[in-house]
Amino acid sequence: MKVTVDMTLCEDHGQCAIAAPEVFRINDDGHLEYEGEPSDELEEYVEEAADVCPVQAILLGA
Amino acid sequence: MQAPGSTTIPALDVNAPDFSITSPEVHAAREESWYATTPYGIAVLRYEQVSRLLKHPKLRQGSVSWPAHHGVTEGPFAEWFASWILNKEGDEHHRLRRLMNPAFSPKLIGGLVPRFQALATELIDNFEQPGQCEFVSEFAEPYAARVIAIMLGIPEEEWPIIARESVTIGLALGVTIREDLPEIEAALKNLYAYCDDLIADRRANPREDFVTALVNAAHGDDARLSDTELRDAMVLLIFGGFDTTRNQLGLAMQTFAQNPDQWALLAEQPELGRAAVEEVMRVNPTVRWVTREVLEDFEYEGVELKAGTTLHLYTESAGTDPRVFEGGFDIAAERKPHYGFGGGAHHCLGHFVARSDMSEALPLLARKMRDLQLLPGSEWLPDSGNTGPMRLPIAFTPGN
Repeated sequence: MKVTVDMTLCEDHGQCAIAAPEVFRINDDGHLEYEGEPSDELEEYVEEAADVCPVQAILLGA
Repeated sequence: MQAPGSTTIPALDVNAPDFSITSPEVHAAREESWYATTPYGIAVLRYEQVSRLLKHPKLRQGSVSWPAHHGVTEGPFAEWFASWILNKEGDEHHRLRRLMNPAFSPKLIGGLVPRFQALATELIDNFEQPGQCEFVSEFAEPYAARVIAIMLGIPEEEWPIIARESVTIGLALGVTIREDLPEIEAALKNLYAYCDDLIADRRANPREDFVTALVNAAHGDDARLSDTELRDAMVLLIFGGFDTTRNQLGLAMQTFAQNPDQWALLAEQPELGRAAVEEVMRVNPTVRWVTREVLEDFEYEGVELKAGTTLHLYTESAGTDPRVFEGGFDIAAERKPHYGFGGGAHHCLGHFVARSDMSEALPLLARKMRDLQLLPGSEWLPDSGNTGPMRLPIAFTPGN
Protein backbone atom coordinates (compact mmCIF):
# COMPACT_ATOMS: atom_id res chain seq x y z
CA MET A 1 0.00 0.00 0.00
CA LYS A 2 0.99 3.62 -0.49
CA VAL A 3 1.20 6.19 2.29
CA THR A 4 1.65 9.91 1.76
CA VAL A 5 1.85 12.50 4.51
CA ASP A 6 1.05 16.09 3.59
CA MET A 7 4.10 17.68 5.20
CA THR A 8 2.57 21.16 4.90
CA LEU A 9 -0.09 19.98 7.37
CA CYS A 10 2.00 17.66 9.55
CA GLU A 11 2.63 19.10 13.01
CA ASP A 12 4.85 16.25 14.31
CA HIS A 13 2.38 15.34 17.07
CA GLY A 14 3.44 11.71 16.58
CA GLN A 15 0.04 10.06 17.05
CA CYS A 16 0.68 8.00 13.89
CA ALA A 17 3.92 6.72 15.42
CA ILE A 18 1.95 5.47 18.42
CA ALA A 19 -0.72 3.78 16.25
CA ALA A 20 1.64 2.25 13.67
CA PRO A 21 5.25 2.37 14.93
CA GLU A 22 6.41 0.02 12.13
CA VAL A 23 5.54 2.69 9.57
CA PHE A 24 5.86 6.08 11.27
CA ARG A 25 8.45 7.39 13.68
CA ILE A 26 9.46 10.68 15.22
CA ASN A 27 13.22 11.13 14.78
CA ASP A 28 15.64 12.61 17.29
CA ASP A 29 15.01 16.10 15.90
CA GLY A 30 11.33 15.68 16.68
CA HIS A 31 10.24 15.34 13.05
CA LEU A 32 8.19 12.69 11.31
CA GLU A 33 9.78 9.99 9.15
CA TYR A 34 7.70 7.29 7.48
CA GLU A 35 7.75 4.30 5.17
CA GLY A 36 5.96 5.26 1.94
CA GLU A 37 5.17 1.70 0.82
CA PRO A 38 4.50 -0.45 3.87
CA SER A 39 3.49 -4.08 3.62
CA ASP A 40 -0.23 -4.71 3.15
CA GLU A 41 -0.22 -6.68 6.40
CA LEU A 42 0.11 -3.40 8.25
CA GLU A 43 -2.96 -1.91 6.61
CA GLU A 44 -5.11 -2.03 9.74
CA TYR A 45 -2.56 -0.07 11.74
CA VAL A 46 -1.83 2.40 8.99
CA GLU A 47 -5.55 3.12 8.66
CA GLU A 48 -5.69 3.69 12.39
CA ALA A 49 -2.76 6.07 12.12
CA ALA A 50 -4.52 8.04 9.38
CA ASP A 51 -7.69 8.09 11.46
CA VAL A 52 -6.08 9.44 14.62
CA CYS A 53 -3.90 12.10 13.00
CA PRO A 54 -5.07 15.30 14.73
CA VAL A 55 -4.55 17.35 11.55
CA GLN A 56 -5.66 14.56 9.18
CA ALA A 57 -2.48 14.81 7.11
CA ILE A 58 -2.13 11.12 6.17
CA LEU A 59 -3.36 9.96 2.77
CA LEU A 60 -3.64 6.27 1.90
CA GLY A 61 -3.57 4.72 -1.56
CA ALA A 62 -3.72 1.22 -2.99
CA MET B 1 18.33 30.68 34.13
CA GLN B 2 19.98 33.30 31.92
CA ALA B 3 19.28 34.02 28.29
CA PRO B 4 22.20 35.06 26.13
CA GLY B 5 22.75 38.74 25.50
CA SER B 6 21.53 41.55 27.67
CA THR B 7 17.77 41.03 27.47
CA THR B 8 16.05 40.98 30.83
CA ILE B 9 13.73 38.10 31.40
CA PRO B 10 10.25 39.19 32.46
CA ALA B 11 8.75 37.71 35.63
CA LEU B 12 5.03 36.93 35.90
CA ASP B 13 3.31 36.61 39.27
CA VAL B 14 0.70 34.12 38.11
CA ASN B 15 -0.56 33.55 41.68
CA ALA B 16 -1.54 37.20 42.21
CA PRO B 17 -5.32 37.41 42.65
CA ASP B 18 -5.72 39.83 39.74
CA PHE B 19 -3.33 38.04 37.36
CA SER B 20 -4.75 37.54 33.87
CA ILE B 21 -2.95 35.31 31.43
CA THR B 22 -4.43 37.24 28.50
CA SER B 23 -3.47 40.66 29.90
CA PRO B 24 -1.38 43.35 28.18
CA GLU B 25 1.31 42.51 30.77
CA VAL B 26 1.68 38.97 29.40
CA HIS B 27 1.57 40.18 25.80
CA ALA B 28 4.24 42.78 26.59
CA ALA B 29 6.40 40.06 28.19
CA ARG B 30 6.03 38.05 24.97
CA GLU B 31 7.52 40.97 23.04
CA GLU B 32 10.50 41.10 25.40
CA SER B 33 11.34 37.41 25.45
CA TRP B 34 10.05 34.01 24.36
CA TYR B 35 9.69 33.06 28.01
CA ALA B 36 9.06 34.54 31.43
CA THR B 37 9.80 33.24 34.91
CA THR B 38 6.90 32.36 37.22
CA PRO B 39 6.59 30.96 40.77
CA TYR B 40 6.13 27.51 39.16
CA GLY B 41 9.03 27.61 36.73
CA ILE B 42 8.84 29.19 33.32
CA ALA B 43 6.04 30.39 31.06
CA VAL B 44 6.54 29.94 27.31
CA LEU B 45 4.93 32.80 25.44
CA ARG B 46 5.62 32.60 21.69
CA TYR B 47 4.09 30.34 19.06
CA GLU B 48 7.30 28.83 17.70
CA GLN B 49 8.63 27.79 21.11
CA VAL B 50 5.25 26.57 22.35
CA SER B 51 4.95 24.44 19.21
CA ARG B 52 8.40 22.96 19.70
CA LEU B 53 8.30 22.41 23.46
CA LEU B 54 4.82 20.89 23.35
CA LYS B 55 6.34 17.91 21.54
CA HIS B 56 9.86 17.96 22.94
CA PRO B 57 11.17 14.46 23.80
CA LYS B 58 12.93 15.73 26.94
CA LEU B 59 9.69 16.95 28.47
CA ARG B 60 6.86 14.96 29.97
CA GLN B 61 3.26 15.92 30.65
CA GLY B 62 3.53 18.03 33.76
CA SER B 63 0.52 17.58 36.02
CA VAL B 64 1.38 14.13 37.35
CA SER B 65 2.68 15.40 40.70
CA TRP B 66 -0.23 17.78 41.36
CA PRO B 67 -2.00 15.75 44.10
CA ALA B 68 1.32 14.87 45.79
CA HIS B 69 2.32 18.56 45.83
CA HIS B 70 -0.81 19.12 47.90
CA GLY B 71 -0.25 16.22 50.29
CA VAL B 72 -2.58 13.76 48.53
CA THR B 73 -0.43 10.67 48.03
CA GLU B 74 -2.80 7.75 48.60
CA GLY B 75 -6.45 6.77 48.48
CA PRO B 76 -8.99 6.53 45.66
CA PHE B 77 -8.35 9.95 44.14
CA ALA B 78 -4.55 9.61 44.07
CA GLU B 79 -4.94 6.18 42.48
CA TRP B 80 -7.38 7.40 39.87
CA PHE B 81 -5.23 10.43 39.03
CA ALA B 82 -2.19 8.19 38.56
CA SER B 83 -4.25 6.04 36.19
CA TRP B 84 -5.00 8.93 33.80
CA ILE B 85 -3.67 8.32 30.33
CA LEU B 86 -2.56 11.96 30.51
CA ASN B 87 -0.26 11.05 33.39
CA LYS B 88 1.30 8.00 31.71
CA GLU B 89 4.38 8.09 29.51
CA GLY B 90 6.24 5.77 27.16
CA ASP B 91 5.07 2.25 26.36
CA GLU B 92 2.29 2.25 28.91
CA HIS B 93 0.90 5.49 27.52
CA HIS B 94 1.16 4.24 23.95
CA ARG B 95 -0.67 1.01 24.73
CA LEU B 96 -3.58 2.86 26.37
CA ARG B 97 -3.69 5.37 23.55
CA ARG B 98 -3.75 2.68 20.86
CA LEU B 99 -6.58 0.90 22.62
CA MET B 100 -8.62 4.04 23.22
CA ASN B 101 -8.09 5.89 19.95
CA PRO B 102 -10.51 3.91 17.74
CA ALA B 103 -13.45 4.73 20.03
CA PHE B 104 -12.72 8.43 19.39
CA SER B 105 -12.36 7.99 15.63
CA PRO B 106 -13.84 10.73 13.44
CA LYS B 107 -15.78 8.00 11.59
CA LEU B 108 -17.71 7.00 14.71
CA ILE B 109 -18.34 10.58 15.73
CA GLY B 110 -19.63 11.67 12.32
CA GLY B 111 -22.75 9.59 12.90
CA LEU B 112 -23.64 11.64 15.97
CA VAL B 113 -23.87 14.99 14.19
CA PRO B 114 -27.68 14.94 13.73
CA ARG B 115 -28.07 14.29 17.45
CA PHE B 116 -25.77 17.20 18.33
CA GLN B 117 -27.88 19.45 16.08
CA ALA B 118 -31.17 18.26 17.58
CA LEU B 119 -29.83 18.76 21.08
CA ALA B 120 -28.61 22.31 20.41
CA THR B 121 -31.94 23.24 18.81
CA GLU B 122 -33.94 21.79 21.70
CA LEU B 123 -31.93 23.66 24.31
CA ILE B 124 -32.17 27.02 22.53
CA ASP B 125 -35.90 26.59 21.89
CA ASN B 126 -36.45 25.91 25.59
CA PHE B 127 -34.80 29.05 26.99
CA GLU B 128 -37.04 30.31 29.76
CA GLN B 129 -37.33 33.89 28.54
CA PRO B 130 -37.48 35.12 24.96
CA GLY B 131 -34.47 37.18 23.99
CA GLN B 132 -32.51 36.41 27.14
CA CYS B 133 -30.70 33.47 28.74
CA GLU B 134 -28.16 32.51 31.34
CA PHE B 135 -25.95 30.81 28.79
CA VAL B 136 -24.01 28.47 31.09
CA SER B 137 -26.92 26.81 32.90
CA GLU B 138 -29.35 26.96 29.97
CA PHE B 139 -27.02 25.89 27.19
CA ALA B 140 -23.31 25.21 27.78
CA GLU B 141 -23.71 22.93 30.78
CA PRO B 142 -26.60 20.73 29.56
CA TYR B 143 -25.11 20.63 26.05
CA ALA B 144 -21.67 19.48 27.24
CA ALA B 145 -23.14 16.91 29.65
CA ARG B 146 -25.73 15.54 27.20
CA VAL B 147 -23.10 15.16 24.47
CA ILE B 148 -21.27 12.89 26.90
CA ALA B 149 -24.50 11.01 27.63
CA ILE B 150 -24.94 10.53 23.86
CA MET B 151 -21.35 9.30 23.53
CA LEU B 152 -21.76 6.85 26.42
CA GLY B 153 -25.19 5.72 25.27
CA ILE B 154 -26.88 6.55 28.57
CA PRO B 155 -30.29 8.26 28.92
CA GLU B 156 -29.82 11.96 28.22
CA GLU B 157 -32.06 12.95 31.14
CA GLU B 158 -29.36 11.61 33.46
CA TRP B 159 -27.07 14.47 32.43
CA PRO B 160 -27.25 16.29 35.81
CA ILE B 161 -25.36 13.36 37.39
CA ILE B 162 -22.52 13.88 34.90
CA ALA B 163 -22.50 17.62 35.50
CA ARG B 164 -22.71 17.44 39.29
CA GLU B 165 -20.06 14.77 39.87
CA SER B 166 -17.69 16.32 37.31
CA VAL B 167 -17.89 19.72 38.97
CA THR B 168 -17.10 18.10 42.33
CA ILE B 169 -14.15 16.15 40.95
CA GLY B 170 -12.95 19.38 39.35
CA LEU B 171 -12.28 20.70 42.86
CA ALA B 172 -9.23 18.44 42.76
CA LEU B 173 -7.58 20.80 40.28
CA GLY B 174 -7.85 23.67 42.75
CA VAL B 175 -5.40 24.51 45.51
CA THR B 176 -7.92 23.35 48.17
CA ILE B 177 -7.77 19.75 46.93
CA ARG B 178 -6.82 18.40 50.35
CA GLU B 179 -9.76 19.86 52.25
CA ASP B 180 -12.19 18.96 49.45
CA LEU B 181 -10.91 15.39 49.26
CA PRO B 182 -13.80 13.60 51.04
CA GLU B 183 -16.32 15.25 48.71
CA ILE B 184 -14.14 14.53 45.66
CA GLU B 185 -13.79 10.87 46.56
CA ALA B 186 -17.53 10.49 47.13
CA ALA B 187 -18.17 11.88 43.63
CA LEU B 188 -15.54 9.56 42.19
CA LYS B 189 -17.22 6.59 43.85
CA ASN B 190 -20.56 7.52 42.30
CA LEU B 191 -19.09 7.77 38.81
CA TYR B 192 -17.22 4.48 39.29
CA ALA B 193 -20.47 2.70 40.12
CA TYR B 194 -22.10 4.31 37.12
CA CYS B 195 -19.32 3.26 34.73
CA ASP B 196 -19.05 -0.27 36.19
CA ASP B 197 -22.73 -0.78 35.35
CA LEU B 198 -22.22 0.52 31.82
CA ILE B 199 -19.23 -1.72 31.17
CA ALA B 200 -21.07 -4.78 32.49
CA ASP B 201 -24.07 -3.95 30.34
CA ARG B 202 -22.07 -3.57 27.10
CA ARG B 203 -20.18 -6.77 27.78
CA ALA B 204 -23.53 -8.55 28.02
CA ASN B 205 -25.28 -6.53 25.29
CA PRO B 206 -22.78 -5.19 22.75
CA ARG B 207 -23.98 -2.29 20.60
CA GLU B 208 -22.53 -0.20 17.79
CA ASP B 209 -21.39 2.45 20.21
CA PHE B 210 -18.53 4.13 21.98
CA VAL B 211 -18.55 2.06 25.19
CA THR B 212 -18.73 -1.21 23.25
CA ALA B 213 -15.81 -0.03 21.11
CA LEU B 214 -13.78 0.57 24.27
CA VAL B 215 -14.84 -2.73 25.87
CA ASN B 216 -13.79 -4.63 22.73
CA ALA B 217 -10.70 -2.54 22.04
CA ALA B 218 -7.83 -4.64 20.69
CA HIS B 219 -4.61 -3.74 18.91
CA GLY B 220 -1.92 -6.18 17.83
CA ASP B 221 -0.17 -7.74 20.82
CA ASP B 222 -1.41 -5.13 23.31
CA ALA B 223 -3.22 -6.62 26.29
CA ARG B 224 -6.86 -5.51 26.24
CA LEU B 225 -8.14 -2.84 28.60
CA SER B 226 -8.86 -4.34 32.01
CA ASP B 227 -12.12 -3.51 33.76
CA THR B 228 -10.25 -1.11 36.04
CA GLU B 229 -8.56 0.59 33.09
CA LEU B 230 -11.90 0.89 31.31
CA ARG B 231 -13.59 2.39 34.34
CA ASP B 232 -10.74 4.80 35.03
CA ALA B 233 -10.71 5.90 31.40
CA MET B 234 -14.46 6.40 31.22
CA VAL B 235 -14.54 8.52 34.35
CA LEU B 236 -11.67 10.57 32.93
CA LEU B 237 -13.50 11.12 29.68
CA ILE B 238 -16.66 12.22 31.51
CA PHE B 239 -14.66 14.58 33.64
CA GLY B 240 -12.30 15.76 30.89
CA GLY B 241 -15.02 16.22 28.30
CA PHE B 242 -17.55 18.07 30.40
CA ASP B 243 -16.06 21.21 31.86
CA THR B 244 -13.73 21.89 28.94
CA THR B 245 -16.63 21.90 26.48
CA ARG B 246 -18.88 23.92 28.81
CA ASN B 247 -16.13 26.50 29.36
CA GLN B 248 -15.14 26.70 25.70
CA LEU B 249 -18.73 27.34 24.59
CA GLY B 250 -19.05 30.19 27.10
CA LEU B 251 -15.75 31.66 25.91
CA ALA B 252 -16.97 31.43 22.31
CA MET B 253 -20.02 33.55 23.21
CA GLN B 254 -17.77 36.11 24.87
CA THR B 255 -15.57 36.38 21.78
CA PHE B 256 -18.48 36.57 19.35
CA ALA B 257 -20.27 39.20 21.49
CA GLN B 258 -17.16 41.33 20.93
CA ASN B 259 -17.21 40.57 17.19
CA PRO B 260 -20.83 41.04 16.04
CA ASP B 261 -19.98 41.04 12.32
CA GLN B 262 -18.40 37.59 12.70
CA TRP B 263 -21.47 36.29 14.55
CA ALA B 264 -23.71 37.54 11.74
CA LEU B 265 -21.41 35.90 9.19
CA LEU B 266 -21.61 32.57 11.02
CA ALA B 267 -25.42 32.78 11.04
CA GLU B 268 -25.38 33.31 7.27
CA GLN B 269 -22.71 30.68 6.56
CA PRO B 270 -23.12 27.72 8.96
CA GLU B 271 -20.42 25.83 7.04
CA LEU B 272 -17.96 28.15 8.81
CA GLY B 273 -18.79 26.36 12.10
CA ARG B 274 -15.63 24.30 12.04
CA ALA B 275 -13.40 27.32 11.29
CA ALA B 276 -15.24 29.29 13.98
CA VAL B 277 -14.29 26.70 16.62
CA GLU B 278 -10.63 26.90 15.56
CA GLU B 279 -10.58 30.69 15.52
CA VAL B 280 -12.24 30.92 18.96
CA MET B 281 -9.79 28.39 20.40
CA ARG B 282 -6.88 30.35 18.95
CA VAL B 283 -7.75 33.63 20.65
CA ASN B 284 -9.82 32.45 23.64
CA PRO B 285 -8.96 28.85 24.61
CA THR B 286 -10.32 27.40 27.86
CA VAL B 287 -7.03 25.58 28.44
CA ARG B 288 -4.93 28.67 29.06
CA TRP B 289 -1.76 26.73 29.65
CA VAL B 290 -0.45 23.27 28.86
CA THR B 291 1.93 21.90 31.48
CA ARG B 292 5.21 20.09 30.86
CA GLU B 293 7.99 18.94 33.19
CA VAL B 294 11.67 18.64 32.29
CA LEU B 295 12.78 14.98 32.38
CA GLU B 296 16.54 15.56 32.15
CA ASP B 297 18.71 18.69 32.05
CA PHE B 298 19.05 20.19 28.58
CA GLU B 299 19.70 23.50 26.89
CA TYR B 300 17.01 25.09 24.76
CA GLU B 301 17.58 28.37 22.90
CA GLY B 302 20.40 29.26 25.27
CA VAL B 303 18.42 28.48 28.42
CA GLU B 304 19.43 25.70 30.82
CA LEU B 305 16.33 23.70 31.65
CA LYS B 306 16.88 21.63 34.79
CA ALA B 307 15.19 18.28 35.43
CA GLY B 308 11.98 18.77 37.40
CA THR B 309 11.35 22.33 36.16
CA THR B 310 7.72 23.06 35.30
CA LEU B 311 6.98 24.73 31.97
CA HIS B 312 3.62 26.32 31.28
CA LEU B 313 2.98 26.75 27.56
CA TYR B 314 0.60 29.71 27.17
CA THR B 315 -1.94 28.89 24.48
CA GLU B 316 -3.59 32.29 24.03
CA SER B 317 -0.25 34.08 24.02
CA ALA B 318 1.02 31.67 21.33
CA GLY B 319 -2.27 31.92 19.40
CA THR B 320 -2.08 35.71 19.22
CA ASP B 321 1.69 35.92 18.66
CA PRO B 322 2.15 38.73 16.10
CA ARG B 323 5.18 36.89 14.64
CA VAL B 324 2.74 34.32 13.25
CA PHE B 325 -0.78 35.74 13.26
CA GLU B 326 -2.25 38.94 11.90
CA GLY B 327 -4.35 40.75 14.45
CA GLY B 328 -8.12 40.46 14.70
CA PHE B 329 -10.71 37.72 14.86
CA ASP B 330 -11.76 36.38 11.47
CA ILE B 331 -13.48 33.01 11.03
CA ALA B 332 -12.94 33.12 7.28
CA ALA B 333 -9.14 33.57 7.51
CA GLU B 334 -6.60 30.80 6.90
CA ARG B 335 -4.63 30.33 10.12
CA LYS B 336 -1.88 28.12 11.41
CA PRO B 337 -3.06 25.54 13.99
CA HIS B 338 -3.68 26.63 17.57
CA TYR B 339 -2.60 24.57 20.60
CA GLY B 340 -5.84 24.68 22.53
CA PHE B 341 -5.95 20.86 22.41
CA GLY B 342 -2.34 20.57 23.56
CA GLY B 343 -0.09 18.55 21.28
CA GLY B 344 2.39 15.75 20.85
CA ALA B 345 1.80 12.34 22.39
CA HIS B 346 -0.77 13.80 24.81
CA HIS B 347 -2.78 15.69 22.18
CA CYS B 348 -6.39 15.78 23.43
CA LEU B 349 -7.97 12.37 22.79
CA GLY B 350 -11.47 13.83 22.55
CA HIS B 351 -10.74 16.63 20.09
CA PHE B 352 -12.79 15.17 17.23
CA VAL B 353 -15.82 15.03 19.54
CA ALA B 354 -15.24 18.54 20.88
CA ARG B 355 -14.66 19.97 17.41
CA SER B 356 -17.71 18.24 16.05
CA ASP B 357 -20.16 19.15 18.82
CA MET B 358 -19.05 22.78 19.05
CA SER B 359 -19.01 23.29 15.29
CA GLU B 360 -22.65 22.13 15.17
CA ALA B 361 -23.70 24.24 18.16
CA LEU B 362 -22.15 27.59 17.20
CA PRO B 363 -23.89 28.18 13.84
CA LEU B 364 -27.26 27.20 15.36
CA LEU B 365 -26.66 29.61 18.23
CA ALA B 366 -25.66 32.32 15.75
CA ARG B 367 -28.86 31.83 13.75
CA LYS B 368 -31.20 31.73 16.73
CA MET B 369 -29.48 34.31 18.94
CA ARG B 370 -28.82 37.42 16.87
CA ASP B 371 -27.23 40.66 18.10
CA LEU B 372 -25.58 39.19 21.20
CA GLN B 373 -25.21 41.43 24.18
CA LEU B 374 -23.47 40.33 27.36
CA LEU B 375 -25.48 41.42 30.42
CA PRO B 376 -24.16 42.31 33.87
CA GLY B 377 -23.92 39.47 36.40
CA SER B 378 -21.38 37.18 34.74
CA GLU B 379 -19.07 35.16 36.98
CA TRP B 380 -15.70 33.85 35.86
CA LEU B 381 -13.10 31.29 36.82
CA PRO B 382 -9.61 32.78 37.32
CA ASP B 383 -7.92 33.66 34.02
CA SER B 384 -5.23 30.98 34.18
CA GLY B 385 -5.10 27.18 34.07
CA ASN B 386 -8.55 26.26 32.75
CA THR B 387 -10.88 29.23 32.50
CA GLY B 388 -14.40 30.15 31.43
CA PRO B 389 -17.64 31.69 32.69
CA MET B 390 -19.62 30.10 35.52
CA ARG B 391 -22.54 32.44 34.76
CA LEU B 392 -23.03 34.33 31.52
CA PRO B 393 -26.30 36.27 31.13
CA ILE B 394 -26.87 37.22 27.49
CA ALA B 395 -29.54 39.28 25.73
CA PHE B 396 -30.24 38.68 22.03
CA THR B 397 -32.75 39.11 19.24
CA PRO B 398 -34.47 35.78 18.60
CA GLY B 399 -33.81 34.41 15.11
CA ASN B 400 -35.49 31.46 13.40
